[in-house]
Amino acid sequence: MRIGRYELTLEARPTRPALHTALTAFPAILLALALSSFLFLPAETGFLSAYRAVFSYAFANPYGLQATIHRAIFLWLCTFAFLVPMRAGLWNIGLPGQVYVGALAAFAVPYALRMSELSHPPFHPGLIILLMVVGASLAGAALAGFAGILRAKLHVNEILVTMMLNSILFWLVAYMIKEGGPFMSATGEGESFNLPPSLYAPLIRGVPFTALLALVAAGLLDFLFVKTTLGYRIRVFGLNPAAARYAGINPVAISLLVFLLGGAFAGLAGYHYFAAVPGVYKIPGNYGFYGDLAFYGIICGLIARGTALGAVPIALLFAGLSLGARFAQGQFHLPFGVDYALLGLLMMTFVASHFLYQFRIVWRPVATEEVPRVSAGIPER
Amino acid sequence: MVRFPFTHPEPEEPLLAARGITKRFPGVLALHRVDLDVKAGEIHAVLGQNGAGKTTLMNILFGLLQPDEGQLYFRGQRVHFRSPHDALAMGISMVHQTRKLVSAHSVLENILLGHPGTRGFLNLRTIRREVEELCHRYGFTVDLGAKVWQLSEGEKQWVEILKALYGGAKILILDEPTSVLTPPEVKTLMASLQALVQDHGVTVILVTHKLPIVTAISHTVTVLRSGTVVARLRTCEATEQLLVQHMIGQDISSYSISDLLVEKGRPLLRVEHLSAYNDKGVLSLRGVTFSLHEGEILGIAGVTGNGQEELVQVLAGLRPPASGRVLFDGRDVTWLSPLDRWRMGIGYIPAERYEIASVATLTLVENAALNFHFDPLFSRRGLFNHPGLEKVTRHILSHYRVKAPHLYAQARHLSGGNLQKLIVGRVLARKPKLLIAHLPTQGLDVEATAFLRGKLLEAKAGGAAVLLISEDLDEILSLSDWVAPIYEGRFVAILPREGADAETVGAMMAGLRREEAGVS
Amino acid sequence: MWELLVRSLEASTIFLLAALGELLNQRSGILNVGLEGLMLFGGTLAFIAAQTTGSYGLGFLAGLAIGGLLGLAHGFFSITMRGDQVVSGMGLWILSFGLTTYIGNPYTGPLGMPRIPSIFGLSPFVYLAFALVVAVWLLLYHTGLGLAIRSVGENPAAAEASGINVAITRYLCVVLGGMLAGLSGATYTLSYNPVWNYNFLMGWGFVSLALVFFSMWNPWILLVGALLFGMTWQLSLSPELLLPGILSRYVWRAVPFATTIVILALISTPWFRTRWGLAKPEALGQPYAKE
Repeated sequence: MRIGRYELTLEARPTRPALHTALTAFPAILLALALSSFLFLPAETGFLSAYRAVFSYAFANPYGLQATIHRAIFLWLCTFAFLVPMRAGLWNIGLPGQVYVGALAAFAVPYALRMSELSHPPFHPGLIILLMVVGASLAGAALAGFAGILRAKLHVNEILVTMMLNSILFWLVAYMIKEGGPFMSATGEGESFNLPPSLYAPLIRGVPFTALLALVAAGLLDFLFVKTTLGYRIRVFGLNPAAARYAGINPVAISLLVFLLGGAFAGLAGYHYFAAVPGVYKIPGNYGFYGDLAFYGIICGLIARGTALGAVPIALLFAGLSLGARFAQGQFHLPFGVDYALLGLLMMTFVASHFLYQFRIVWRPVATEEVPRVSAGIPER
Repeated sequence: MVRFPFTHPEPEEPLLAARGITKRFPGVLALHRVDLDVKAGEIHAVLGQNGAGKTTLMNILFGLLQPDEGQLYFRGQRVHFRSPHDALAMGISMVHQTRKLVSAHSVLENILLGHPGTRGFLNLRTIRREVEELCHRYGFTVDLGAKVWQLSEGEKQWVEILKALYGGAKILILDEPTSVLTPPEVKTLMASLQALVQDHGVTVILVTHKLPIVTAISHTVTVLRSGTVVARLRTCEATEQLLVQHMIGQDISSYSISDLLVEKGRPLLRVEHLSAYNDKGVLSLRGVTFSLHEGEILGIAGVTGNGQEELVQVLAGLRPPASGRVLFDGRDVTWLSPLDRWRMGIGYIPAERYEIASVATLTLVENAALNFHFDPLFSRRGLFNHPGLEKVTRHILSHYRVKAPHLYAQARHLSGGNLQKLIVGRVLARKPKLLIAHLPTQGLDVEATAFLRGKLLEAKAGGAAVLLISEDLDEILSLSDWVAPIYEGRFVAILPREGADAETVGAMMAGLRREEAGVS
Repeated sequence: MWELLVRSLEASTIFLLAALGELLNQRSGILNVGLEGLMLFGGTLAFIAAQTTGSYGLGFLAGLAIGGLLGLAHGFFSITMRGDQVVSGMGLWILSFGLTTYIGNPYTGPLGMPRIPSIFGLSPFVYLAFALVVAVWLLLYHTGLGLAIRSVGENPAAAEASGINVAITRYLCVVLGGMLAGLSGATYTLSYNPVWNYNFLMGWGFVSLALVFFSMWNPWILLVGALLFGMTWQLSLSPELLLPGILSRYVWRAVPFATTIVILALISTPWFRTRWGLAKPEALGQPYAKE
């Protein structure tokens, strides 16, 4: 593009230092926060007090902080579920579906054991909780693995398949918990039965043990990608599938493996939010909201650029923001869906920063030209 | 008959002229103050080695690239070509080295693509008649309804020339037109070009590095060497020797390859009636049988697209065979995975350096690891042995003269030659028993080519069996012990080197059978 | 029964409009996986505009405009910036999903305007969509511009060398495609089901995207696919018409999505792939850089 005497061009950045990579996340998040000022326009107070309310509720209020942590654990697990396939160049946008199926599998365990009818668990509750956790992970892994195997064996577009699975599972949950479905609560309408107190997930200092699982997983994932041959194979496959095949890396195995691993995390997230968070312990009627929340995992994974530990603080921040925004919405009589809008804004600024990270805009003065004469004939040498 | 340009004794104005063209790419000065004069009705050859800047210059004349400095003149008028669109409007058309055709579309659709008369609705019947007329006038025969992917390389080139003529081209730029053609196709092309110039007043700019073509049909020749014009001559006053001197600049002594004598070892590879489909589902490898001993090089000579790609991929385990089998070291490996083949000692150098053999955004160490990640020496209980990998990478960089800033530079910052040295070094560092080298020196400069050919011979001397697939007859003939010309998925013959001369092999690459090619 | 058929045709219209837009995009080599997002935004703004101004015309205009604008944004990221088209598409979808939930929420509920009059018992958009199939087919196969679009999607380097401006051709397609997606969303909220609800599409856009893959990039096959899916969709909403009381209505709702997966898997089998794969625009999803 030429503007006046300057040429405006877009050039690929020659080298991208690691620090640079990390730093691009901040402007994206800050910009999204600045843009979300518009969301507070209808509020009856100024921007600053709105922001103060968001952050103080999310990180300083004891109730808020607890909810933030619970949501952060959920987002961590969802982020890993997205991030592992992402490193192999595959898009797992089936997070909600895998979350739902994880929750269904977790609740299937007490349902199968007829726990709601018995006053005492048939065997040690710890064992049942373990079964629930394993069941949730396996169910998530199986659902994602279905998309993975279609991708690996037949090259079916994984975005479409995982998205379709989201819708299918959404209706399956509705079937299970509503209108006389098997998991419907005895009293309530449109929600699942409550877990018996003996099956409440153990808490460590008031936080479900799933927090520990998620944090350990973050460390292990980064170790996997940096230090191990398997992680190397996943990365090579993600960056250049043809080169991976050439190097003897089995594309079917990698595609399947990343989806199995990712799905297991999402299933675990489903267990966490519906069976481990104090005060919930059931699949509520508005389970769809939690499914939508899982999409924050996509954003976290993208902004963290595939590093699991990098995603930990980002997901914590987003958990707090989405909760604080919901709180501010009630306090300042804002329209519903501030947390959804934030999701959209974050995605927009991420995509913008993603491209600024790869390109830079260059101004260059256009060289002045002198016009020499055309000489006729061939100058012999 | 008198040659056209020299019937006018007085100096005439050039039809197309370039003055002081300079073009820089990141880190490279591709063209430096290049002048070019092309007169109406001549065949103007632009001669130079790979990387001399010929294609860059032509892309500038055609508006695909814009010069950093310098000007273009058309009939003495200053012109700016912002895009090929502008050049086409002046009647300048280019036939690129890589085919610029839409392979899924029909010949007719390709010919009329971009034609100014195709705005609005297409009247295919009229256009078809016009193109048929044009074919008739220039004596081309091509099936206008055929899809381009069904055509041979030679036919595709006709389509491009026809397209240019249908677009009203007065100046035709041909970039390395003979590189993918068989010798008989080259002859036809040269005759047609002469006819176009003499009978139809077309001006041709012929870009090539092949001397016989220059001396056979051009009127004027401009020689480029590393981005500058080193000579401008009338062809009738030039000798091949003189042109070579201009083109190369000096003798390159390292070019001659010392012939290492190797004892023939035991048989290593046996391929029986191997066939395979290509991506379009067409059987393009049709029953190839050969065997190879340790310490031997079998050169498969052929024009790209005759089944070499499929043969190589089947041998590397990347493509399932349709029939036949492969025995390696006495074992049936027909259905083994690529990984098992690497482990057994089959090394593969793909033709696609950037697309297949490397990962652009990974570091050199990680790229080296492509051939080592499964090796117990470099991975213990699933963990990488990083010091070991660094050591082997450093070894490759120094022994294969790879110019790289450091071990952790990204592969995309290496030049093509250096990347290829890294790839070859990486594969050879595994000491493969069988080495499959697909177009190992394509597009490389003279130094890298000579170096890599030497390395192939060293591998052979070390007892490896080498399968060399190349389009370059000189390369095949100077390295191989056996020469197998391939045509339409079959070996035309397997000749010992002593029994193979360039003419015979060239004829066989074009599909002539043994008897026709003069071999008894 | 007649009612079911009419509703099916109207549902097909939604699929068809969006998928035709995506087909144009993909024919020019641009993959927009954020189709659902464009539809959501188009539908939401159309709904709001129509309700606040009381004019259907302005509503549709708003839908077209926002669709075109988002298409342009996708074009900027994928054509000018040469970025990953999936990243940009997913970005657009999540952006739209989030923002429309917020923007549209105060308008939750029925449109509250007189229905658009039907022509011979069918919504006028059914006719429009059928006409657009013919128009797109004519454009692609019988005009110079269509040839340019198809060439740009197959081999942009060849098109550029023939004097076609690849960027402008692709921009044209993404904007037109975006407008069609916006129109599709607007048709949904203004005509098919004039009630605004959060995430009202619930996967229609992704099914439309899948329809383009089923269609071999051919508008006529797309039409057949859209008709079949419109029927399936409508049946899944009211299964009692054909198979009363067999399964829970919730399970039926999942049927179109399951069908989509089955067909996706089917056309990806080797037998189909050698036939279907040939029709796929070769440069689909790949950024094009001159030189």
